[in-house]
Order: sequence, then structure tokens, then C-alpha cells
Amino acid sequence: MDKNAVVEKLIKLLEGSLGKSLVLSKDSTLLGDAGLESIQVIEYLCEVEDAFDVVVDEESLSRVSTFGDLASVVERISSE
Amino acid sequence: MSLFSKFDTAAALESTLSSMPVNPTSIVISKVVSASEAIVNGRATIMAGTNNYLGLTFDADCISAGQAALAETGTGTTGSRMANGTYKEHLQLEDELAVFFDLPHAMVFSTGYSANLGILTALLDADDSVLLDSEGHASLYDGCRMSGAKIYRFKHNDPEGLAKRLSRLGEKAKDALIVVEGLYSVRGDCAPLKEFVDVKAQYGGILLVDEAHSLGLYGENGRGLVEEYDLMDDVDFIVGTFSKSLGSIGGFCVSKHPQLKLVRYASRPYIFTASPSPSVIATTREALKKVQQGQGLREKVWRNAKHLYEAFVELGLDIGPTVSPVIGVSFQDREKAFSCWQDLLSLGIYTNLILPPAAPDGGSLIRCSVTAAHSEAQVDSIISAFKKVCKERNVGRLS
Repeated sequence: MDKNAVVEKLIKLLEGSLGKSLVLSKDSTLLGDAGLESIQVIEYLCEVEDAFDVVVDEESLSRVSTFGDLASVVERISSE
Repeated sequence: MSLFSKFDTAAALESTLSSMPVNPTSIVISKVVSASEAIVNGRATIMAGTNNYLGLTFDADCISAGQAALAETGTGTTGSRMANGTYKEHLQLEDELAVFFDLPHAMVFSTGYSANLGILTALLDADDSVLLDSEGHASLYDGCRMSGAKIYRFKHNDPEGLAKRLSRLGEKAKDALIVVEGLYSVRGDCAPLKEFVDVKAQYGGILLVDEAHSLGLYGENGRGLVEEYDLMDDVDFIVGTFSKSLGSIGGFCVSKHPQLKLVRYASRPYIFTASPSPSVIATTREALKKVQQGQGLREKVWRNAKHLYEAFVELGLDIGPTVSPVIGVSFQDREKAFSCWQDLLSLGIYTNLILPPAAPDGGSLIRCSVTAAHSEAQVDSIISAFKKVCKERNVGRLS
């Protein structure tokens, strides 16, 4: 799966969990553009882990701001 | 960027809160009248937002014990136990905690926060993995962060989520630390500890349970949720605090593992914090006796909890599925939560307002708690105030 496909899947997951369509891209931020509160980010990331069958540690997440960043982390951990 | 520019966000928050008719972070309790009443903002107020679950803060025996310790042993220890010496009362409290929990090892800390920091930073290092419930208290998270261990969060109270993450950790799972709480302090929901223990049995791991809010409330002897579910043999470490049901201040860890004795040499928050003062130790020891003999107090707090919970169900409020002395009333609209909280305060009912990002799910909450010190009439007053506010603000069934 290339990075754009990962981003697309990440956004679809969020849309499914919020139950609404969102206008987001790889450069959209989770906290700002997607409008998530920090506790919601944790819940969302748990769904991401399940969807990609990975486990992501907090340190890796601390560098995540955008959906593109998150896609990079998911790709890196999937390939390890 | 200046050193102080990082406070810009806090300044904006303070400005927003200060512009509210009542700043929820600046409530001043000018006089504490009893374990359940105080003068707040100049008005007689029923305290329905404390953690004083057994109502022991004004217990006559606890006060006498504290006064005697002040007179006999002085106001403070002035240093840490490792550098400045252990008072025999520190050891007595540790022995009494071990007996209370029927576990061989106990360790006392100066606060609940430092207990969690102290234990987690001693147990974990950068080579370790820790799995933490997503709604775990800040002290648990901070302790994990300070340790440098790899932190994996799983969804709140989700044993399946924990199992998936342990399974993905592979070989590392057997040495991973699993961290959950007993009773969660915001919504008043309990951990499915039996299911977590089953997951641990399947994948391995070391289980630590924070009983800060469940000590004194659950179990035949008041040990907490671990005792309530008959899991004392399955849990590796229990941490907790003296500042809730015991009405004092301090923290502890008890364990079956002899390594707890060695934590004293490896825990910087323990080594470099002044030890609890004699009066604090004395009131805690007395309160622990009250918990041991506390079936009557437990019956009273649970009677009050059931009464309040049933009334909230009747009002159609958005609350959790189980009765508990802590009830979190959820609001989707933070303005409405604030208005209701303020109205309750003006009616003489103090509750806790919890706004995003502190509230779970990104919503807002009014946290209401009852204790063994509340009379039936006081609980009725809390219910009447909620009824009035809900009707006026169109909340729940009365909307």
C-alpha cells in the first residue's frame, strides 16, 4: 500500500468513527483540521492500530501532527 | 521565541476562564464546616465533588491521632527517608498496609502522584514496554513517560484491545507492564479486572492496578476492586493514595513481589522527596483502622450512591451504566455543562466541572460524588438542585 492509499484509509477510518464526511488531506492536522480533542486522538489511534494490525508507541506518535505523518509511522512500523 | 512565550496558551485559557461568571478553577473554600459541608463563595454549600468517600476527614479519632503526633513528633520530617532517616511510624504504617492487604510487601510515598511516578520509574526503563488504559490518570502516564519505556495505549476498559496489543508485541508481551485503574474517577466506571487478568494469563505481562478511588469502597475488607473480584493472587502491584477514602495525603504500593523492597534504592521520586510528616502518618494509620472496621461506612456510602444514581436515571441524565459513589453526568454542549454547574453552585451544591481536553470522549462532564458523611437529607438536596437545574436548562427527561 503506498503512502497516499494509507492516508486515504486513515481519513476513511476517522470518517467512520465520527460518522460524517470530512475534507482532509495528508497535510491536514489531527488536532486542528480534523477537530479532534486529545482524548479522541488516542481512541482514533487505537482504531488505526487495529485496522493496520500494528502497535504504535507514544514516542513515535509524539512526532505526528498530520495524516501524512501518521501514514509514515504506520508504514515504517508495518515494514519492521 | 522567549522562555515565557510557552505560557501564551495558558494565559489565553486563564483569560477565557476568568471571563466566565464563576471561574471553575478559582473556587475558594473559605471554611470547611464538616466532611460534607463548606462555605464556598460565601455560601453554605453541600460538597458533592470531593473524594472523601468514607467521610473520614472529620473523624474524631483521626483528628486526635494527628494532634497527638504533632505534639509528640513535630510538624515535619524535613527530609527524605533515605537521606534523613525513617521514623518508626513510617515502618508501622507500611507493616499495617501489608497486613491490611494480606500481602508481604508495602511501601509508603509522600503523595499518590509520587507513588505512581516512583513505582513506574523504578519498574520500567527504556528497554521495557508498558500498556496503559487510555483514560489512566495523569500520574500513571507521567510515570510511564519518565521511565523512558515504550508506551502503548489501549482503549479504555477494553480487554480485547489489550489482548491485540500484547499479541502484536510477541515475545515482549510476557515482560510488559499492564497498567489500569480500579474505579475511574471521572465517569465512575470500573475496570473489567477479571477480563484483564484473563488476558494476562493468556499473553503474559505484569499487572499493576491503581486503586486510588476504589480503596475503602470495594471488597469485604475495603481493599478495593481487586479484592471485590477475588483477584488478589492475580495482580502483581497495587498502588493507591491516602488522600481519598483515608482523608489524608500520601501514596502506597503493595505487592507479593520481594523486589518492591528494592524499589527504595531505585526510585528517584521516593529517594528525593521529603517523607510524610508525623501527623499525616498518624491520621492515615487511624483511618486505615476505620476502613478495616468500615462495613458501616461502606454500607452508608453505597446507600447514598444508589439513591443518587437512581434519581439521576429518573431524571434521564447521561450517566454511566453502573452505580458508584462517583457519577459523571455527560454533556455534549460545554456551555450547557458550565451553566448547569454554575446553577448548582448558586443553589449550594458544589460539583466538579470537567471540560475538554480533560473529559473523556472530548465532551464535558459534571462530576458528582457522594460520601458516607452525606445525610439522606443532603443527598435529597443534591437531587432537588439537579432537578431544578435540569428543568430550567432543558437537560435530560425534564427538557
